Amino acid sequence: MQELTNNALMLKVKSGDLDKLGLLYERHKKRLFGFFFNMNSDAALSEDLVQNVFMRILKYKHTYTGEGSFTAWMFRTARNVNYDYYRRNKPENKTSEVSEVAYKLEDSDTIEKGIQEKENITVLHRAMQLLTPEKREVLVLSKIKEMQFSEVAEVLGCSEGAAKVKAHRALKALRTIYLQLETR
Amino acid sequence: MMQQEKFEIWMIDYLSDELEGKDRLNFEKYLEENDDHRKQFEALKETWLQLDEVAIPETSPKMDEQFFDMLHDKMESQNHKKESGLGWLQSLVGSIKKSQLAFAMLILGVGIGAGYVLNNDSNSDTTVNTVNAVVDTNTETEEVRGQLVLTLLEQASANKRLQGVNEAAKLNDANERVIEALFTTLNNDPNVNVRLVAVESLAKYVDTPEVRMGLVKSIGFQDSPLVQIALADLMVALQEKTSVESMKQLLEQPDIDNTVKQKLEESINHII
Repeated sequence: MQELTNNALMLKVKSGDLDKLGLLYERHKKRLFGFFFNMNSDAALSEDLVQNVFMRILKYKHTYTGEGSFTAWMFRTARNVNYDYYRRNKPENKTSEVSEVAYKLEDSDTIEKGIQEKENITVLHRAMQLLTPEKREVLVLSKIKEMQFSEVAEVLGCSEGAAKVKAHRALKALRTIYLQLETR
Repeated sequence: MMQQEKFEIWMIDYLSDELEGKDRLNFEKYLEENDDHRKQFEALKETWLQLDEVAIPETSPKMDEQFFDMLHDKMESQNHKKESGLGWLQSLVGSIKKSQLAFAMLILGVGIGAGYVLNNDSNSDTTVNTVNAVVDTNTETEEVRGQLVLTLLEQASANKRLQGVNEAAKLNDANERVIEALFTTLNNDPNVNVRLVAVESLAKYVDTPEVRMGLVKSIGFQDSPLVQIALADLMVALQEKTSVESMKQLLEQPDIDNTVKQKLEESINHII
């Protein structure tokens, strides 16, 4: 139902009723922020990228046809924003080695607090950052509750079956990294 | 044992709650019988569920401020563009025919998000609402749209004429020139689809006696069974008694389609 009204709101934005973008922003800002934060672990940067998504939605509103899901269209835009950002600002190989991350974890306060569960989640978050961006992306998209796999496939530009296989492989890779970090 | 890739897809379906009821049970049953796949599943399930626990920080109020500042700026600049743009457009209206065409092509970008999506059945309701909202709040758009209809109806492309007729249906109150143009289309357009949509567009103005008369007369001009039937249906809906004579004349034509003949007879009976 919400997807229907998302679509109607976006068509209004397209026809010049720009303030309807405010409603779409309120509905989706957290989800988009979560997507970027999971991708880059940088809250300030993620907020900027959310802003960029909505600027781009306005810029390319004429290309919105109302066909398919608005959420998928929006996340495709988010994905492009993310790519463009990293193309322009190549990261300086931060935390690219498992050993480096493990070392940082040993120093971190979280572990000293000794809460096993929290620790596991922290390790998992680190493991996520060690995945390739493609694998990380497919997992993050798969975990967005409001998105069906057909929409994830639409965002990734592949078939639904292929998206599921990618999700499975990403999950398996994440598990492997996670176990490596955990045993250190 | 099931092929690995098929199992992977099935597992993701299960984990992402895309399997329901019996399908979920089937998956669970399969795991009970296949130890290797069950182990694979249990390991990945744990990681999949843990992913939900990864905390996402709250967004800052600054993000909202920046967004609404940006939106406000865009809306302001859009309003400025509208003001200067309409003066320019109005100076074009009523000038020579060629410029009329150029004008119509330009405002296509502004007014015809509608025209484009109108052909899209799945979204037509939403589009209708959207277009109505624009029209209601902007009488200038209404004038522009009327002008656009006239121009589109003169185009060589049937698609463009179809767009024109569709646009006419969106006008709140069509002027004489638009009505006249729609009748010219209904009676002379070589494309059946365009003529059919013209019937629908004109049906909106049946409260005007001239429009009713025009529709009645048009029955005799039509050679397409589809248009003849559409007009007969409309006449029944309107209970337009004056149309009976036109329909009887049409019935006397030797080459009349059998279905149409039957339809006209039924329609006459309904009206009488």
